[in-house]
Amino acid sequence: MGEIRNFRSGNQDGPPPHGPMPRRLAAIIVGDIASYSRLMQADEEGTHVRVKRIERDLIQPSIVEHHGSLVKTTGDGFIAIFDSPVEAVRCSIVIQQNLVGRNASLPKDSRIEYRIGVNLGDVIVEPDDVYGDGVNIATRLEGIAEPGQVYISGAIYEQIKHKVVCGYESLGDRKVKNITDPVRVYRVLPDADAVGRTRGRRENTLIFLLAITLLVIAAGVLWYLLAQTPGRRSEQAAMPTASPAASPSPQPPPREAATQTPQPSPSLALSTPSPAPAPSPSVTPVREPEMIAIRGGSFAMGSNDDPTERPVHQVSIKPFSIGKYPVTVQEWNECAAAKACGFTATGKDNAPISNVSWTDAQQYVGYLAQATKKPYRLPSEAEWEYAARGGTQSKYWWGDKLQPGMAGCKDCGDLAAEQPAKVGSFKPNPFGLHDMGGGIDQWVEDCWHKSYQGAPSDGSAWGGGDCASHVLRSGSWKNDSRYVRPSNRDGYDTNVRYPTHGFRVALSP
Amino acid sequence: MKVIYCAALAAALALLPGAAFSQGKTAPKDAKLYFITPYDGQKVRGGFWVRFGLRNMGVTHAGDEYQNAGHHHLLVDVNEPIDPKEPILQDKSHLHFGAGQTETFLELPPGTHTLQLVLGDAKHYPFDPPVVSDKITVRVRQPSQRGK
Repeated sequence: MGEIRNFRSGNQDGPPPHGPMPRRLAAIIVGDIASYSRLMQADEEGTHVRVKRIERDLIQPSIVEHHGSLVKTTGDGFIAIFDSPVEAVRCSIVIQQNLVGRNASLPKDSRIEYRIGVNLGDVIVEPDDVYGDGVNIATRLEGIAEPGQVYISGAIYEQIKHKVVCGYESLGDRKVKNITDPVRVYRVLPDADAVGRTRGRRENTLIFLLAITLLVIAAGVLWYLLAQTPGRRSEQAAMPTASPAASPSPQPPPREAATQTPQPSPSLALSTPSPAPAPSPSVTPVREPEMIAIRGGSFAMGSNDDPTERPVHQVSIKPFSIGKYPVTVQEWNECAAAKACGFTATGKDNAPISNVSWTDAQQYVGYLAQATKKPYRLPSEAEWEYAARGGTQSKYWWGDKLQPGMAGCKDCGDLAAEQPAKVGSFKPNPFGLHDMGGGIDQWVEDCWHKSYQGAPSDGSAWGGGDCASHVLRSGSWKNDSRYVRPSNRDGYDTNVRYPTHGFRVALSP
Repeated sequence: MKVIYCAALAAALALLPGAAFSQGKTAPKDAKLYFITPYDGQKVRGGFWVRFGLRNMGVTHAGDEYQNAGHHHLLVDVNEPIDPKEPILQDKSHLHFGAGQTETFLELPPGTHTLQLVLGDAKHYPFDPPVVSDKITVRVRQPSQRGK
């Protein structure tokens, strides 16, 4: 690990058989600030001071901590080399995640965001610079990386794929400037922003495809109707064209969808207000919790901070959606009005529903699934933690230190310590989810187990064990900051209500 | 706006004592909550059973509004006094037994710990007067074999 320094401080013990040029295999990190010129233009001195501070407080210590060595800093970037690809990537992730925390409180246009490229290559090391193809490729990777992201080459990926616990997304082979062979590029996913953006892009593609499918179906139905004599059937058949919009699952045949509404609760009235030519006059659209799609991935679940959170284990998560906020009083009361939930809650409409048992929560998701014909359910514990981490592996989703404005708890800072008056009072995490930690405790699907010994690794809910209790996540306004950590977990009697307990819903795609 | 705010504040202040008084169901004077095991000062190794004793009152599920009945809460290493106007906290040192349990298997890290029982009403509020046990101390020794 210390060899790098030996090379740099003079190559007396380096073994360069071919003269004075010390070549060595190294993992090279190239980092560069996005929109540096714009930042400099806006505030030259301020930006300079901030960049220097980041280099001094974050970049240099991180590199040293990971047994690397800083080769040089340029005005807007840096180059570092590492013996170990694993350490190089870890270091990059640490830098990016810390920057997320630093940037969280700043307006968008004054954020300092680095792009980082990592490559493995045989390079020439000189005391104050490195040369070679390997460096150029790292530079190119950095060039195509989005701000806040880490791109790694195939060579690095092969070395670390089973060692660094985080997600990778293959971006395929990329032709990079002045390099003959295309380079395989991977995006490292623990960086919060990267995950968010991927989701956006994928989602857009998905929505686009869905829209096309819908158009085709609609055209087909229209054609079918025109071909037939228009009669009463036309009304029934016209409705289902709206219904698949929200459910990408196999579309129900027209008649079935129309007949599957035994109650006034409308299966067809989805988020899009439909003209509702329903048989019953008292049709109100079901209020569905606002959902956020979460891209699947893999993450390290648990922590060493509490015996219940051990052992830390790798879990893969399939794509799913989760409520942007905990279920609110208003949403709950619709279920109560439909006589599907046990009690009518008092409190502001947009306050989180509280004082619910796990069984109560199950009644609500059952009602919602039935009313919307979508597979609403409670999230599994693994899904909850994955969503709460928002792609980070830090103590809290915003970093390792408490910060005001991030979560509602007894000692979380400014506006804490009171029963949440409304959901979404605090900053969303990188996945766009509010109140994932603090605010209100949240039931998940899993039975309580006092540690992760024997836990599933496929992201599914863990049944069995002491199922008289179920798992609570998030911590509440009454708990202290230890409970706000995304890995925190606790169990509670399945059928017992408590004033700080609520929940949020999940949806399988 | 300000007027409404003031009015709301006044209302809240006026209602607060009422709300507090409406909680805390009365308990019989001779109700006694105590530990069957362990005894005060007991030394234990690894996990141990804690059994809750209650005299002159009954144990029921949380949520059940029966007269003279409540459910157990076990406070581990809690030093703060119990607030009679708030539901008994729920966290890793305030263990709830809302399903009517009268015993639990406790695993604590080695060292000295305090245990105390508090009886809660249907809504997890302490009774009036509070039905609490003596606070006892247990010494947890290192488990004889590690890694189990």
